[in-house]
Amino acid sequence: MKHLRAALARITGFFTGHRQDDELREELQSHLDMETAEYIRRGMHPDDAHRRALLTSGGLTQAAEAVRDQRGLPWIEGIAADIRYALRALRHSPAFTTVAALTLALGIGANTAIFSVVRAVLLKPLPHKDGDRLVYLRHSADGPGGANVLFSVPEIRDFREGAKSLGGIAEYSPFFSILQDDDGAARLDVGLVTGNFFDVMGLSPLLGRLTRPSDDGPGVPPVMVLSHEFWMKRFGGDPAVVGKQVKLDAGTVTVIGVLEPAPFFPNRVDALLNMVISKHHLSALMVQGRTHRMTEMVARLAPGATVEQASTDVATVDARVQHEFKDAYDPGSHYRVAVIPFKEALGDRARLTLLLLMGAAAFVLIISAANVVNLTLMRGVRRQQELVVRAALGAGVARLRRLLLVENLVLTITGGLLGVILAIGGVSLLTSLAERYSPRANEIRLDVVVLGFTLSLSVALALLLSFAGSLPKEGSFASAIAAGARRISGSLSKHRLQRALVIAQIAVSVVLLAGAGLLTRTISRLSEVDTGLKTEEVLTIPVQLLSFGGGDFAKILAGDVAAKQGYDRIRGEIQALPGVTVVGVGSTLPLRGAEMGLDVKAEGRALAVGEATPRASLRTADPDYFRAAGIPLLKGRAFARTDQPGGGRVVILNQVLADRLFPGEDPIGRRVAWTGDVLRFSPFSGDWRTVVGVVGNTRDAGLDAPPPPAMFMPFAQELAMGGGVVIRADGDPEALAAGATRIVRRIAPTVPIGKVMTVAQYKAESVAPRRLNAELVSLFGILAVLIAAVGIAGVLAFSVSARSNEIGIRMSLGADSARVQRMILKEGGLLLAIGLVAGVGGAYFATRVMHGLLFGIAPHDPLTFIGVAVVMAAIGILACWIPALRAARIDPAIAMRAS
Amino acid sequence: MAEKLDVKPGTLALMILKTLEVLGPLHGYGINRRIEETSKNRITLNYGTLYPALLKLEQEGFVTAEWRQSENNRRAKYYALTAAGRKQLAREAREWHQTADLIAAFLGARRETP
Repeated sequence: MKHLRAALARITGFFTGHRQDDELREELQSHLDMETAEYIRRGMHPDDAHRRALLTSGGLTQAAEAVRDQRGLPWIEGIAADIRYALRALRHSPAFTTVAALTLALGIGANTAIFSVVRAVLLKPLPHKDGDRLVYLRHSADGPGGANVLFSVPEIRDFREGAKSLGGIAEYSPFFSILQDDDGAARLDVGLVTGNFFDVMGLSPLLGRLTRPSDDGPGVPPVMVLSHEFWMKRFGGDPAVVGKQVKLDAGTVTVIGVLEPAPFFPNRVDALLNMVISKHHLSALMVQGRTHRMTEMVARLAPGATVEQASTDVATVDARVQHEFKDAYDPGSHYRVAVIPFKEALGDRARLTLLLLMGAAAFVLIISAANVVNLTLMRGVRRQQELVVRAALGAGVARLRRLLLVENLVLTITGGLLGVILAIGGVSLLTSLAERYSPRANEIRLDVVVLGFTLSLSVALALLLSFAGSLPKEGSFASAIAAGARRISGSLSKHRLQRALVIAQIAVSVVLLAGAGLLTRTISRLSEVDTGLKTEEVLTIPVQLLSFGGGDFAKILAGDVAAKQGYDRIRGEIQALPGVTVVGVGSTLPLRGAEMGLDVKAEGRALAVGEATPRASLRTADPDYFRAAGIPLLKGRAFARTDQPGGGRVVILNQVLADRLFPGEDPIGRRVAWTGDVLRFSPFSGDWRTVVGVVGNTRDAGLDAPPPPAMFMPFAQELAMGGGVVIRADGDPEALAAGATRIVRRIAPTVPIGKVMTVAQYKAESVAPRRLNAELVSLFGILAVLIAAVGIAGVLAFSVSARSNEIGIRMSLGADSARVQRMILKEGGLLLAIGLVAGVGGAYFATRVMHGLLFGIAPHDPLTFIGVAVVMAAIGILACWIPALRAARIDPAIAMRAS
Repeated sequence: MAEKLDVKPGTLALMILKTLEVLGPLHGYGINRRIEETSKNRITLNYGTLYPALLKLEQEGFVTAEWRQSENNRRAKYYALTAAGRKQLAREAREWHQTADLIAAFLGARRETP
C-alpha cells in the first residue's frame, strides 16, 4: 500500500515536476535564510553567516537534484535527457552521423531483406498442422532423370503395410488439365490425391470441404479443391465458387472447397482432385503396375517415431521388395528411397543460394559495423577531452557509459529504420528470385519477427559500439585533463584495434568479391556454353493440341487424328507468313527437357554385368523440325514425308545415345527398340526401329548439365504429344510472334498457348535466377569494397591528423613532401597487403561451399582470385592516396605551431 | 565537537517522525535543528539528505506539508504527522526498541565457562 501510494506520487511528480521545482527552490531558500539568520543572531558577520549556512547545506543544487530524483521517475527523465543529449551530440557532427547511419542502413537493410526470405522459405513453421511431423519420400535411381522417379501404387502399398513408423501415407499424382470457362482456356496444374491426403498433410479448408476417403475409388463423382492462390487469381476470391461445376478437358467436376494457403512440393498446384477424374489412375495398369511410377508420397510420422526410424523402416521394406521383385529394379540403377522432413524438401533448392546470400549480407554487415566502430573510435578520441571534463564535473563514468549507449542506440536504430526502408525495396526483388527456387516465396513478409530481428541487430550493434570506445578511468581525470587535449591522440592499443578492423574489412571484401567474381564468371561460362543449336533465333510456340484428359485410350486415339490435322493446318498457315523460312513441329521444343524417358536397347548388344540399362528422352519430330530448330544432322537423313504410319519404323538418335549404344560403330541401318517394364503403361511399342540418322547433342537438361541421350521418332508415326511449333525466319523471328500466335489461336481456340518466345529468350530466362543471384552478390561485393575503401581512407586520414605534429617535425628536419607521402602510403599499403593476403586465404576456404552454385569454374579459380586481389589493391591504394596527399601538403610551421 | 555519526539507513525517517510527534508541525530547518540538538551535534544533515527523506515520507502518506507563516514572519513549508504517520512511528519505534534490546543482550553477554 505504502509502495503503491509512493509510486503513484512519483508518477504524478514526473508530470508536475516543473511546477514543484519553484516550490522546492523556495523551500530550500527559506531554510538557508533561517539558518543564516540564526548564525547572525549568534553574532556572526552576515557574510560569514551566509557562507557558513551554504557550507552546512551541502549545496542547494545537489539538494534539488536529490529531491528531484526522489520526486519523479529519474530513470525515465534520465533517458529522455540522454536522448536529447545524444541527438544534440549527433547533430553536432553531421558528417559522422550521416556516414555512420547510412553505412549501418546498408548493412542492416541487406540483412533484414535476406532474413525475411530465409525465414519464409527455410525457417518458418509450415502452415500444416504439426508440419514438422510431415515427411516427403524421394525415390531415386542412377542415370539421367533418376533424381526423382516417383512411386508406383504397389510400392506405396508396400510402405503402407510395412513401414510402421509412418502413421499415414498420402498419395499425390501430378497431372495437368485444361480448364474451359468464359475467360477462355487455361492450363491447370493439378494433383490427383487420395481421400486421406488433406488429413495426412494437416490442412484445413478455407471454404467448403476437402476430399475424404469416401471420394476414393471408381463410381464417385469427380470433385475439386482449389488452391488459395488459384482461387484468388482465377475466381477473384469469390466464395460462391463452392458447389460450382467446372468444365475440364477430362470432364465436368464440382468445386467442393478452397484450401488454406499452403506450399506444395515438388510443384505448385492450382487444384487438387480425387482420382476418379482420370480413368488411367484407377486402371489395373496403374494400380497393379509395380514400375508404373507416377505418384508422389507424403507421410506423417507415427506418434513418437523419428525421421531416423522412418528411414530405417523404409529402407528395410525397400530392400525386401527389391529382393522380391527383381525385374522391377534394375540393379545397375541402384534404386533407393530417402525420407526427408517436408519442410526441408520445400527448402531444398533454395537453401544453398539463400545461405550464400545470407552469408554475403552478413559480411556486408561486418564491414559496415567495422567501419562505424572505426568512426566511433576516431570520434571518441576527439571527444575524449569532453568526456574527461564531464566525468570530472561529476557525471560519473557509469552515467557517461549510459550516455554513450543511448547515443549509439539512437544511431543504430536510425540506421535500422533506414535499413528497413531499403529492405522494403529489396524484398520484392528477392521474392522474384525466391519464386524460382521455392514454393514458399509467397510467404515472404517483413513481419514482426523480421522487424524484431532488425531491432536486435541494431541493439547488438549499439552495444558493440559502446564498448569499442574506452571511457576515462575513475580517478584518472586530473591527469587526463592536465595532459591537455593535444596529447590525447588515442592509445597505441586503440590504434591497433583500428588497424585490425581495416585489415578485417579488406579481407572480408576480398572474400565477397571472390564469391561475386566466381558467380559472375559462372554466368558468362553458362552463356558461352555451346547449346548444340546452329542458331537460337528461332521462335517457339508451346501448344498441345491433343488432350490426354481422362486417360481414356479410345478417346485419346480419336483426338490424335484431329490434333495432327490441326498441327498440319498451323504449319501450313504459318509457313505462308511473309519472312518464314522453315516451320517444324515436335513433341519437345529445343533446349527443353522431354516429359518422358524410357529404357532403350540395341539389337545384338548385351549389357555388361552391372551396367545400367541405357535410357533416352523420348521425342518426336516432323521432317522440318531439325532444320527449323537448328539441330545439326550429323549422319544419315532427317525424317521424310514418307515416314508415315504403316511405313517402316525409323528413328534418329542424338550423338550421346549413338555413342552409348554403338560405341565406335556406324549406327545407320542398325536397329534399336524401347524396352523395360514401363513400356506396358505407355502408348509406345517395343518394336525394332531402324536408325536412319544421327543429330547433334543439345543441352536439353539445362546449360549446366550434360546433354541427355535422346531418341526421335517421326511425329506422324506416334501420338501427337506435347510440344509445339518451331519457326525459323529470314529476319527477326520475334516479329512473327503476334501473327503466328493469331493463327494458332484461330485454329485451336480451346487450347491454351504457352509463352511464345525465341530459343535465345528461353535460354536467357533459364539462367535468369542465377544471373540475379550473381548480381546480388556482386552488389554486396561492390558495397563492401566501397565501405572498406572509406574505412581505410578514414583511418589513414585520422592517423595523419594525429601525427601532424610529428610530420611537421620531420618536414622541418628535411623530409620532403614526397617522402611524407610515401610514409603514409606505406602505412596504408601494409594494412592493404595484410588484408589482401588474409582475404585471399579466407576466400580459398569460403568459396568451397559455393561449389554447387558454380559452373565451368573451380571454386578457387586462380584467375578470379588474382583479378579480385588486383581490383581490391587498386581501390585500396586509391583510398590511401587521398590522406597521403593531405599529409604531403602539411605546412610544418602551422602544424608545429598548432601544438 | 563531539564525534560525528553517519545516519544509519532507515533511522532518519524515524527521527523525523519522532521530531514531528514531539514538536508538532515544523519546517525543514526546525526539524534539522532538533535532530542536531537531540544528537548533541553528532549528526549534521545537509539538505540533500533531509529533503528527499521528507518528500519520501510525504509520498508514503506519513506526513503532510503546507506553506505557513513562521514565528518570525517568514514563509516556510510546515510538515505535520498524519494518523498513518503516527502508527508508522509507533511500529518503527517498537521495532527499534526490540532490536536495540536484542543487540544489547548479545553484547552484554559474558563469556561462559563450559
